Amino acid sequence: MIELQNITYRYPKSALPVLQDLSLTVEEGEFLLVTGPSGSGKSTLLRCLNGLVPHFYGGQFAGQVRVCGQDPVAAEPRRMSRYVGFVFQDPEAQFVVDAVEDELVFALENHAVPQATMRKRVEEVLDQLDIAHLRSRRVSTLSGGEKQRVAIAAVLTLQPQVLVLDEPTSQLDPQAAEQVLDALVRLNHDLGLTIVLSEHRLERVVQYADRVLYLSGNSQPPLLGEPREVLDQVELTPPLVSLGKALGWQPLPLTLKEARPHARKFERALRSPDQSTNQPTIHPPTPPSSSPSIQLCDVWYAYNGHEALKGVSLDIAPGEFVALMGRNGAGKTTLLKQIVGLLKPKQGQVKVMDLDTRRTDQQALIAHVGYVPQNPGALLFADTVRQELDFTRRSRGMALGGYESLLETLDLNAHAERYPRDLSVGERQRAALAAVLVADPEIILLDEPTRGLDYRQKKALVAFLQREKKRGRTVIMATHDVELVATCADRVILLGDGQVVVDGSTREVMTDSLVFASQVNKLFRDARFLTVKDVLASCRSG
Amino acid sequence: MFHVVAWVLWLAASAMVPLLTQHPFYLALTIAGAWLVFQTVRQISPEAVMWGSLIKLALFIWAFTVPFNALSVHAGQTVLFSLPDRWPLIGGIVTLEAILQGLINGLKLFTLLLIFATFNAGVDHYRLLRLTPAFLYQVGVITSIAVTFVPQMMVAGKEIREAQAIRGHRFRGLRDLLPLFVPLLTGGLERAVGLAESMEARGFGGNVRDVSPRKELLTKIGTLAALLLTLAGAFWYAYFAATQEIGLALIGGGTGLLVCVFWQLGRRVSRTRYHRDTWRRRDTALTLASLALGGGLLTARLAATSLLSYSPYSPTSIWPDFNLGLGLLTLLVAVPALSLGKSHD
Repeated sequence: MIELQNITYRYPKSALPVLQDLSLTVEEGEFLLVTGPSGSGKSTLLRCLNGLVPHFYGGQFAGQVRVCGQDPVAAEPRRMSRYVGFVFQDPEAQFVVDAVEDELVFALENHAVPQATMRKRVEEVLDQLDIAHLRSRRVSTLSGGEKQRVAIAAVLTLQPQVLVLDEPTSQLDPQAAEQVLDALVRLNHDLGLTIVLSEHRLERVVQYADRVLYLSGNSQPPLLGEPREVLDQVELTPPLVSLGKALGWQPLPLTLKEARPHARKFERALRSPDQSTNQPTIHPPTPPSSSPSIQLCDVWYAYNGHEALKGVSLDIAPGEFVALMGRNGAGKTTLLKQIVGLLKPKQGQVKVMDLDTRRTDQQALIAHVGYVPQNPGALLFADTVRQELDFTRRSRGMALGGYESLLETLDLNAHAERYPRDLSVGERQRAALAAVLVADPEIILLDEPTRGLDYRQKKALVAFLQREKKRGRTVIMATHDVELVATCADRVILLGDGQVVVDGSTREVMTDSLVFASQVNKLFRDARFLTVKDVLASCRSG
Repeated sequence: MFHVVAWVLWLAASAMVPLLTQHPFYLALTIAGAWLVFQTVRQISPEAVMWGSLIKLALFIWAFTVPFNALSVHAGQTVLFSLPDRWPLIGGIVTLEAILQGLINGLKLFTLLLIFATFNAGVDHYRLLRLTPAFLYQVGVITSIAVTFVPQMMVAGKEIREAQAIRGHRFRGLRDLLPLFVPLLTGGLERAVGLAESMEARGFGGNVRDVSPRKELLTKIGTLAALLLTLAGAFWYAYFAATQEIGLALIGGGTGLLVCVFWQLGRRVSRTRYHRDTWRRRDTALTLASLALGGGLLTARLAATSLLSYSPYSPTSIWPDFNLGLGLLTLLVAVPALSLGKSHD
C-alpha cells in the first residue's frame, strides 16, 4: 500500500536533513503509529505520503515513494487527495466552510462527484464517525473532539484508501481524544482502512497500533517493529511501560489488562515480608500555616448568561502546588482568570495576597501573580526570546537583564536570540513561561501547560515547577494531564459545572477516582502508588 | 432563513432606498423596517452579534459626517456663524443647510450599512458563494474564508489583549500597538498557511480538464489583449476629452473580452453542487415584496423624480413633502421580519 525507499529530505534554508535515507513499507489495513520527540520529522514523513512534501514546502527531496500505486511527487497533493486522506493537528485551521454538512462535501464538489453519490457518501461518513447529530451545526460551535471527527469525515468522503493523521489528538482533552481514537479504531477494524498516525503521547494509542515507527531525531536510525519491541528500546515511555521495564515484566505490558497479573504478583511479593506496609498512609493536606495567599469566597461568574462559576470558595496557602482538574467547560480557566484579575466576580470576593481583585488595579495584582495562558502564541511578538523577556521587565518597571539563570533552568540558553515563533511547540511553551516568570511572581498560574509537549519536554517542565515550589512559590495549574498531577501536585481541586466537587490531597483524590487516577494508581488501586517512582521506592524499602 | 436568491433580492431592493433618495422620511422608514428585520434575524443567527458592531461603527461615522459637512461646505442661506477666511478648508460661513445635509449624508450611510449588516447576519456565505458563476469561484472561496476568519481573529484578539495585559502591557503610545498586532497578524498568517495546506490536501482546484496547447495559447493571448484594450481605453478617456465615448467603448470591449476569457477558464474546472435549496412560500412572498419595492422606487425615480428628491439647499422650503404611497412602499423593507417572526427555522 505504502512504500518509501531511501527518502532523504531537507527543508529549504535548513542545513541538516529532517529525514535521512528512510525506507518503510506499510501493508494494506495496517495501523502504523509514528512517534518520537518533537522535531524528529514525524510531520514531515506524513506529508511525504500525499506529496505536500515537497510540493507545498519546497526543499530537497530524494528517494522513491509509492502510495496506492501512485507517485505523490509526480501526482501532486490535489490528485493524491483521492487516495490519501490527510487530517491536521489543529482542528481550527482546517475548515473552509462554517457549516458541517458543507464542509463534508467541499472536497466532493471540487472533484465534481455527482449529486446523488455525494448524498450517499455524506450519509455514510456521518454514520461511520457517529456525527449524524452534528450535520446542521456550525463548525465554530463544536467542541474540539467533534471538530476533529468532522475533519476526519471530511476527508473520508473521497473514500481514500489511506488515512494519515498528524497528531490529531494533541490539542484535545483526554475524553475528546478518546472519542477520536475510538472512531479511528472502528474505521481500521470495520473497513480495513490503512491508518498512519503520529502521536507522542503513547499511552493513548499504543495499544491500537499494529506497528510503531520511532523517529529519534538526532540522526540516529529509526526503530520499526511491533509496539512491544520498539518500546523496549525507547528510553521515555508511558508510566505503565516504564514500570514494566523497571520491574522486568515479560512480555512488556501495554495495557492495564495485560499488566494486572504482574501487578498482583508484585503486590503479593511486597506484602509477604511485612504486613504493616499494607496500611495506606494518607497524609491530610497540610493545614495552612500562615494566612492564605489566595482566598475565594462564594465566587459567582457568568459569561453571556451561562454560569461558569457557581459559588466557589477556596483557600490556597503560600507554597502550595494545586492542580485544577475537571472536564472542558467546568470553569478551570475562568477560575484562573479570576485570580489574576482578568475577570471580576459577579458576586463574592477574590482576595490575592490580601488584595481584593475588584478594588485593586490590574498592575498591582500582576506584581504578585504570573499567568501563562493556554496558547503561547497569544503572548509572543518580539524578534528574539531575550527581547520578549526584556519587554515584561520593562513593562513592570524592573531592571533589564538578570535572567540568565531562568533561561538556564528552562533550557532556553541556546534559543535566546531566536525568533520565538520559529521554535517548536515545547520551546514556545517554555519561552512563554519565561516571559511571564521573568517578573518573578509569588503565585504562578498555568493553563494546560503540557498540551503538545513530548515526554522529554514534560519532564523538564516538571523539574522546573518542582524547583519553583521549593523556592516557596505557589503554583496553580489547570490541566487534564493526570500523570503530571500525580508527579508534582500536592492538592487536587476537581471542578464540575462551576462548582468544587472534590478538594483534597492528590493521593486521596486520585485513589478515589477512576477517571482522574494515574495509570500506576489504576493498576494497583493503592493509595501508596501514584507514580513509577512510588512503586520502585516501596520495592527498595520492602 | 430565506432562500439565498430571495434574500439577495431583498438586499438589492432595500439598498435602493438610500441609493436613490436622500429623503429623510423614507430613509427613516427604511431604517425602522431594517432594524426590525435585524432584530428578528438576531434571534435566529448566531453571527448577528458580530455584525452588530458594524452598526455601532455606522453610528460613529454618522456622528462624524455632520461636522465634516458643516465645516467643509460653505453654501446655503441660513448662516449660523462664520469662521475666519484665512483658515484653510474650514474657513467661511457655516450654514444650517450644510448641517442638515451632513445629517442626511450620515443617515444614508447608516441606512446602507444597517441593511448590509442585516443581510450578512442572515446569509449563509457559502450558499451565497454558490450563486457566483464558475469563473468567479476562486474569488468566492477567498471571500468565504475571509468571512469565517473574522470571528476567529476577534477571539484571538481578545486572547492576546488579555495575555499582554497581565504581562504589564499598557497602552501609552503607538509603539505599544506592536505587542497586540504582531501576534494577531502572525497568528492569522499561520492559520492561513494551515488552511491552504488543508485545502490543497483535499484537492481544491484539482479537477482542471486539460486542453490543447492551441487553446491554452489562445486564452493567454485573449487575457493580454483584454487587459491592453482596457488600459488603452482608460488612457483615451483621460486624455482625449472630446471623444470620451471611444475610450468608454474600448474599456467596455476589454472588460467584455476578459469576462469571456474567465468564462472559458471556468468551464475547464468541473464542479458539482450538493445542495438542493428549498424554495418556500415565504421566499415567494419576499421576492414579490422586493420586486414591488424595487420596481416602485425605479418607477418613481424615472416617472416622477420630484417625489423622491429632497435637498436642504432648495430655496422654497426646508421641510420635505411626504407621499403616503411611497411611504407605505418603503415599509416593505420590513417584510422579512413578518414572515420570519412566525416560525424560527
